[in-house]
Amino acid sequence: MHLQYSYSLATFSPEGRLFQIEYAIEAIKLGSTAIGIQTSEGIVLAVEKRITSPLMVSTSVEKIVEVDSHIGCAVSGLVADSRTMIDKARVEAQNYWFTYNEQMSVESVCQAVANLAIQFGEEDPDPGAMSRPFGVALLVAGIDEKGPQLFHMDPSGTYVQYDAKAIGSGSEGAQSSLQEVYHKSMTLKEALKSALTILKQVMEEKLNSTNVEVATITREKRFHMFSKEEVEEVIKDL
Amino acid sequence: MSIMSYNGAAIIAMVGKDCVAIAADRRFGVQAQTVSMDFQKIFQMGDRLFLGLPGLATDVQTVSNRMKFRLNLYELREARQVKPKTFLSMVSNLLYERRFGPYFVEPVVAGLDPKTFEPFIASCDLIGCPMIPEDFVVSGTCSEQMYGMCESLWEPNLEPDDLFETISQALLNAADRDAVSGWGAVVHVIEKDKVTTRTLKGRMD
Amino acid sequence: MGKKTLWKPESDFFLQQILQNISVEGGNMAQPGVQMQGPEPYGAHGPRQQYFSPYSWNGGTVLAIAGEDYAVLACDARLSEYFSILSRDSPKRYKLTDMTVLGCCGFHGDVLTLTKMLDARLKNYKHEHNKTMSCKSIAAMLSTVLYYRRFFPYYTYNILAGLDEEGKGCVYSFDPIGSYEREVYRAGGSASALLQPLLDNQIGMKNMQGVQRLPVPKEKAVALVKDVFISAAERDIYTGDQIIINVITKDGIQEESFPLRRD
Repeated sequence: MHLQYSYSLATFSPEGRLFQIEYAIEAIKLGSTAIGIQTSEGIVLAVEKRITSPLMVSTSVEKIVEVDSHIGCAVSGLVADSRTMIDKARVEAQNYWFTYNEQMSVESVCQAVANLAIQFGEEDPDPGAMSRPFGVALLVAGIDEKGPQLFHMDPSGTYVQYDAKAIGSGSEGAQSSLQEVYHKSMTLKEALKSALTILKQVMEEKLNSTNVEVATITREKRFHMFSKEEVEEVIKDL
Repeated sequence: MSIMSYNGAAIIAMVGKDCVAIAADRRFGVQAQTVSMDFQKIFQMGDRLFLGLPGLATDVQTVSNRMKFRLNLYELREARQVKPKTFLSMVSNLLYERRFGPYFVEPVVAGLDPKTFEPFIASCDLIGCPMIPEDFVVSGTCSEQMYGMCESLWEPNLEPDDLFETISQALLNAADRDAVSGWGAVVHVIEKDKVTTRTLKGRMD
Repeated sequence: MGKKTLWKPESDFFLQQILQNISVEGGNMAQPGVQMQGPEPYGAHGPRQQYFSPYSWNGGTVLAIAGEDYAVLACDARLSEYFSILSRDSPKRYKLTDMTVLGCCGFHGDVLTLTKMLDARLKNYKHEHNKTMSCKSIAAMLSTVLYYRRFFPYYTYNILAGLDEEGKGCVYSFDPIGSYEREVYRAGGSASALLQPLLDNQIGMKNMQGVQRLPVPKEKAVALVKDVFISAAERDIYTGDQIIINVITKDGIQEESFPLRRD
């Protein structure tokens, strides 16, 4: 019976569901926790890095990346899948700049990546598309003419704007914590502290400067990845 | 590239109230390379008669000398000063003698009639076809630019000082949009009882 | 049935006639065996080079001036080819957005294609990015559009006028293969050489001594535009009939026309 309708991954089940997408959304709940908070000054991204062995070089795990000088992206889930999406985002942002001589808006970058995300299983896909949905969730953060913005994108290619969002294994707890602490007039410094406090609560390991990654996107510094020392400076006050 | 624009030049003549003016740039160059900035392109042919010669520099000098030669003969034989209109015919005649191997110059004649002091300006093509307009003539590598300038700036019955300002602005601004002319200018304003010659410094690039 | 005989070329009368008529240089094969009378048919002397020019020159002049809080874009309305006037009412300005106008002249076929494509690109952009393209971005895009045809260019001279992000007047000028620059004033097209030095003088204050550089008021710019086009129409046969003047301010685009000589 299963064979009767499973010709393609993008085929609806009789109940009107796309199982592969649902499975992929389940898969991202296994990823490491990532938190993004938007303030009027800028956006904070903070992610947990799972250091599974003391012999692992922690800096080689990269879960926050720069898309363009005004856009950053935190990932959770199958990090390998995110490489294609980040690459797409970077190429689109540069193409946009090349053609229009201005920086691409955060939403347009999300739209471009979403276009790639829903191409799975297509017969004649664009380069980068795969036979299955991507197994990652993204937090896309950036500053454009509309100001600081934070978007969340899931494997279905759906993207939604958030004031604050947590993804990954600890997302449920983290999200309710965010709801408690978040307020519209939050400063960037407060957001930074809140993000790491919440991350600390939901992480299994003890939070330190090697197992978290922190970045901010502000008008002054644009995308800024925190150095080990800068992270320690923040952790100190927790 | 045309041999007419090998050395580069810009010359304008204009009629004012009882006066005429003739102006030329001072550049001598070989294609893009400037060789000197004090090259003579306007030659005095009588008390109130000037000949401007834009074109191939070697022909500029040959034609100016040959015209001076013929003019001297004319004045010796006739024992009177040549009229600008007659002089134009002589220039035209000289050029047409070389109908099939022309001098690469397009002359401009400007002056006052020796007896009536009537203003006169004219230009020729390189084989001697004359043209006698009432307002202004332009000749040289930036003739389009000069036409644009003159057509807007010139007006009838300009006094000598205003005529000087008009012809200077027309020449300098036109030459600034031409790579092979410019580097300063010389302006002669010809009146009944005096000829005023001024050299102008334009943008030197 | 009689004895079977083999078919031989020599036995085919018509084939022989045809073969006789084919010379090395080519010949008339339409009517074998019939001698052609009168002039020789086209192509009787073998291969000949045929020429096709993909371009024409339809003239036209555009001019733009950027002021403090406005931009003026003017163009003539004459469309010509060689010594013929094809139209006296063919303005070379194309409204791209509520505050950007493009002046485009040269080969009219390319002008039509280019402007149509720009319109399509602008609509697409609005759908994709939910905003109207800024003058700066249109300029950048036009540059890439032109450069993508680097080796078979659009034979068009483009001048873009509008307001920048700060509401100041802006003018961008282009060459046919996409080199571009933001400027205060620029003339393009058939009478550009006549107009440009005059703008240098009257707006750029070039070769002027002891004058202070004041911003050009809108009314003065429009009056100057009329003056210089009258001059251009005197000497340039590809400029005339009428000019269309677009004044772009934060309140929108105002258009007026002004007659020029029609000969």
